[in-house]
Amino acid sequence: MAHTADAHTAEIDSKEAWSGGKSPFGVSYGKMMMWFFLISDALTFGGLLVSYGFIRHKYADVWPKAENVFTHFPFVEQHLPLAYVGLMTFILIMSSVTMVLAVEAGKRMDRKGVTIWMLWTIIGGLMFVLSQAWEWYHFIVGTEAGWVRNVWDFEKGAYVKEVFHGANMIVNEYGVPQFANYFFFITGFHGTHVFSGVVINVIIFLNVLKGTYEKRGHYEMIEKVGLYWHFVDLVWVFVFTFFYLL
Amino acid sequence: MEFHDNYPSYETMYNHDEAYGKKARRTLWNVFWIMLIITIVELVIGFLAPSKGWSGTLGLKVLFIGLTIAKAAFIVWWFMHLGHEVKFFKYVILVPYITFMLYTIFIVLTEGTYSGQSGNLTKIDPILVDQQEQLRAGHGHAAAHDAGHDEAKHEEGHH
Repeated sequence: MAHTADAHTAEIDSKEAWSGGKSPFGVSYGKMMMWFFLISDALTFGGLLVSYGFIRHKYADVWPKAENVFTHFPFVEQHLPLAYVGLMTFILIMSSVTMVLAVEAGKRMDRKGVTIWMLWTIIGGLMFVLSQAWEWYHFIVGTEAGWVRNVWDFEKGAYVKEVFHGANMIVNEYGVPQFANYFFFITGFHGTHVFSGVVINVIIFLNVLKGTYEKRGHYEMIEKVGLYWHFVDLVWVFVFTFFYLL
Repeated sequence: MEFHDNYPSYETMYNHDEAYGKKARRTLWNVFWIMLIITIVELVIGFLAPSKGWSGTLGLKVLFIGLTIAKAAFIVWWFMHLGHEVKFFKYVILVPYITFMLYTIFIVLTEGTYSGQSGNLTKIDPILVDQQEQLRAGHGHAAAHDAGHDEAKHEEGHH
């Protein structure tokens, strides 16, 4: 069961693969199950995004443009469309790189390397979650001008003007409420994944500090949480495209 | 442990030495730079699109979705190491997922068209249509809220 340096793959004879006594996939049980879990999770996100695409297409003429909605940047007064989400995307890709470097260090049993890269990954994840919160805050609070809309006044029996700021599940200053609904639901679901990913990373990080994996003789746990973390990044790549670019 | 005396240790099978690690790290950083460049290109195009009149065109949609799938492939193949797994495992992961997603997209595109038929069109709240007109009238968001909007039309529309 040696591996070649080039392919870096366990060589498994296809004739013997299913004869028992070993994994035909050449992976440990835990890693395989993480992959299967991610497939199911990816189907959930895929369903959500397909549904989003359907509604987006159906209301194409009244759908708000992301560059008119997300124009804020911290500490800058100017309107900078897409700049902040670009930064968020960069942070998440960066944390994915630090994660994969932690996995790589684990394969060399380099405890110090794993510690440092895991720490960076946790910092990147926290920064992303906080950015997400900031984005939500600005979306909910809305612009100063708001939207002047007509609401029916039952006492007067007539329409009256009302200024509405920001967005909630029913009214959206920027356009159809479905935009806000899908934005809150999908980025919220993704944000929950990022948050739980950070929590899991912290637990694993503490185990690395304690030397749990050093004692165990391998750092495969880093690879398993790494799979989850990359998956979170993967989902964001799609959310970024469908919500902000298209 | 009692069950499998000769059970291979898959946990350590993929471990490697410093020389291999150096090569692996270089590959990973290259992947990172490629992904960063793709993201920057996407942002620049997204930023230019409204002024150049590219917004909503089929070409732009295909380009963005194509670049997204390319990034996704890089993440799955290099960061998640699916490229390093046994061939059969790759198929077990990718084939069911791609099949189901293609089917979902197909079924939404074909069966979903009923909602566009005239009898099934959702009655959009006239207030929303009006809001959109306001937004279209001004360039960008803030400009849309200038006073002097056509009030007579409201009254007509709602009574």
